[in-house]
Amino acid sequence: MRDLCAAAVDAATGAGAEYADARVVMKRDQLIATKNGRVDRMTDAESEGIGVRVLVNGAWGFACDRRLTADGARNAAIRACTFARAAAGKHSRALAPVEIRTARHESSVERDPFAVTLREKVDLCLRADAALQGPDVIVRQTMVRARREHKLMLSSEGTEVEQILTESGAGIDCSATRDGVFQVRSYPSAHIGSSCQSGWEYVDGLRLVEEAPRVAQEAAALVRADPCPSGVTTVVLDGDQVALQVHESVGHPTELDRVYGTEASYAGTSFLKPADLGSLRYGSEHMNITADPTTPGGLGSFAFDDEGVPAESTRVVEAGRLTGFLTSRETAARLGAGHGGSMRADGWNRMPLVRMTNLHIEPGEGTLDDLLADVDDGIYMETNRSWSIDDKRLNFQFGTQVAWEIKAGKRGRMLRDATYTGITPEFWGSLDAVAGRDSWQLYGLTNCGKGQPGQSAHVSHGAAPARFRNVQVGVKT
Amino acid sequence: MSALEVARAALNAAGEEAEAIAHSERSGLARFAESEVHQPTLIENVVVTLRVVRGNRTGVATTNKVERDGLAELAQRAAAAADSAPADDSFPGLAPGADPPQVDGYDERTAALGPDDQARLAAAAIDAAGDMPVYGFFTSAVSELAVASSTGLTVEQRMTDATALVVAAAEGCSGYAEHTAWRADDIDPAAVARESAEKAARTKGAGETEPGTYRAVLEPYAFADLLDYFSHDSLGALGLLEERSYLSGRLGERIADEKITIADDPLDPQGLPKAFDFEGTPKQRVLLLDQGVARGVVWDRTTAARARNGASTTGHAGPLESRDWGPLPYSLSVAPGEAESVDELAELVGDGIYITRLHYLGVIDPREGIVTGMTRDGTFRIRDGKIAEPLVNLRFTVSVPDLLREVYGLTRNAALVNSQNFYGERYPYGVLTPALAAARFTITGVGSKPGI
Repeated sequence: MRDLCAAAVDAATGAGAEYADARVVMKRDQLIATKNGRVDRMTDAESEGIGVRVLVNGAWGFACDRRLTADGARNAAIRACTFARAAAGKHSRALAPVEIRTARHESSVERDPFAVTLREKVDLCLRADAALQGPDVIVRQTMVRARREHKLMLSSEGTEVEQILTESGAGIDCSATRDGVFQVRSYPSAHIGSSCQSGWEYVDGLRLVEEAPRVAQEAAALVRADPCPSGVTTVVLDGDQVALQVHESVGHPTELDRVYGTEASYAGTSFLKPADLGSLRYGSEHMNITADPTTPGGLGSFAFDDEGVPAESTRVVEAGRLTGFLTSRETAARLGAGHGGSMRADGWNRMPLVRMTNLHIEPGEGTLDDLLADVDDGIYMETNRSWSIDDKRLNFQFGTQVAWEIKAGKRGRMLRDATYTGITPEFWGSLDAVAGRDSWQLYGLTNCGKGQPGQSAHVSHGAAPARFRNVQVGVKT
Repeated sequence: MSALEVARAALNAAGEEAEAIAHSERSGLARFAESEVHQPTLIENVVVTLRVVRGNRTGVATTNKVERDGLAELAQRAAAAADSAPADDSFPGLAPGADPPQVDGYDERTAALGPDDQARLAAAAIDAAGDMPVYGFFTSAVSELAVASSTGLTVEQRMTDATALVVAAAEGCSGYAEHTAWRADDIDPAAVARESAEKAARTKGAGETEPGTYRAVLEPYAFADLLDYFSHDSLGALGLLEERSYLSGRLGERIADEKITIADDPLDPQGLPKAFDFEGTPKQRVLLLDQGVARGVVWDRTTAARARNGASTTGHAGPLESRDWGPLPYSLSVAPGEAESVDELAELVGDGIYITRLHYLGVIDPREGIVTGMTRDGTFRIRDGKIAEPLVNLRFTVSVPDLLREVYGLTRNAALVNSQNFYGERYPYGVLTPALAAARFTITGVGSKPGI
């Protein structure tokens, strides 16, 4: 791997690049999914290749080659330089300095997910699938997955970083219908389960089979539940929905490339401006957000990002004030603050982008019950179902799979079709409590999209239940 | 090696009952922001997926290592997966040999475009926007899809596609335009940029409007996005079988205005033609809504077998990464109407809103076809039958069938709107649709001003 990267970097600098980096990536993804007692998908995908990024006269170029050969590496480098030379613009892109390091890093794994037999994985899925059976349940789904990414990055500045990152994940869900009402319930999270940078011990610990009957019962209860009413009220969100709220309304807007507009044509921009750093009131004093690629088990954990910048924890929002952005070396240089550290690429054939790593809301105090106890009349919402937010990450509308009314500090009747909507800084300004460390956990998402061509990132969010006052809920047509 | 050669080599490596799907891509995408190219990406890849069949057990493995050793390893992994899979009585078997229809969709000149050309065409868009900063891309690609199986099936298709997309934006204003075609010569990046910049200039000084239900004109970009989201749950067989679809229990019923006819038409040269699906089954045109009446959904072999109601595949199995959705209509086509222009549609509306484009849609209730999202890059009030003052971005929450229930008109000309976001392997698809004027479009919130 190292020799291929060196061949690419040498070819690029020989062709006139003032900077070049090359990444060899070998990735394996395994997925087993069942539906209604049948194996629905069983895939085992390998992909390998080299991606070469160059700066020529201040302009970026990127090309890749699936062949792990010296010819393939050099060819990619030359094509990247050609593309950079042809690129329109004035170009004066600079990179923040980085400490030159040679390092190797590997995820901590107790039980190698690829050593777990397919039979064991299928058996787990089918047992969980069977345990999801229940009244009105028409679709039962289970999923287990594993990924290993082995990559080596080498730059013309001398950085050389080899990393092996392993993920495991799983989830179950079921759909129920009754009298034309359609509802979904999931565990441990919505949207393709939840994943962790971990061995198979993470999946073992989820206890899918044991959780399945509760999931089925709640799905059946949901199709009999009343719709969530509309109104302005106090909302308590579970950790899963808080994680998504952090992702969409803090993570994406603090990506500095979006702030500078480079995602304007697809994912959108940000309501934040560079000058907001250090001064903008993002939310209440209970709001503390940290970007931390060193979090054990986080899907966004690494020792070095895909520009070779060492991982470090950064406070993005402190006591409600904006204190940091997620940056690349280029955007950090443009801002004149920071040094990058959030650049990640979706495999060998995509250019690194500013991405979330692990973005956490720091815990407060107490438990979910403590949060509910201080609500006379409100709604408790659990597990994301739908999500939408505008291109500046201001106006959002999210829905959850299930909700309960809160009356006199206690959970009341179950409600379906719960949604809430708001404007980002106003909503975070209404945060008046986050539950404590014991209620805080990691939620791993594997479907964060950005970039053209599109890239999918895996990120984690540490979150705990949180309470927001004066929130608009129950928006319907 | 061509995709078909890769597929055959994988099939040979398996040496047993199996199906191989090879998918190759050679593409260039010159992405720009602030009128400078900042994310220029050249991709070359070929991926082969092998499905080994042992009785009614199947195992699937995928690789991009298509030389001899890589394919041998692929065959081993697929066979191991088949051995670990439980028997599936509903497995329909591999597709039989087929003679797919001859379709357009490949253009030598487009296939020949290289990085210099892609950069030049991006520059043409940037230059045409003048002083207005632009954000977008020009991309072109040649991709190949081939399916070979032990049933004797051998099909292959070469496809080209190109898109120029431009968001013209500055403080307080933004516009959008896009051209997509399988012939790059049919695309004029400069015209795209001019359309986008002209739209952006008209959005300066955007104001708010009260939430409520409005009459509306939707440009093809907006209507295509809504239909694409609606189709995932409601216009494929899996959604129907799992009762997520709005069409569940409504086939044969009138669910939309009689002006609305929607088909999936993969054979239409105005779209991005496809000859066969990812199971190798020849593509068919499928009527989904006929003059407002729900007529059907699209099928693949798996859903047809599971339906046990005589359904048969229509050739709509999708790429592996999209299989969770089941078969999908990748070539949605809305029958045009009589209106000469969007201005004529605005006259039909009289008083309402005009929507260029949507952003970040989310399905709230699949069974009712309820979708939320934001308008973006060109929202206007319609007053006295004219497109009037600009509006800020608006949150909407609409039931797509409700939107289609009362339609004032559609334009005579349809536009091909790109629907792929270039994740995974390149598979060009889009929605061919006219602009639409409808009676009910519900605004549920007010967002920010357009622009950067």
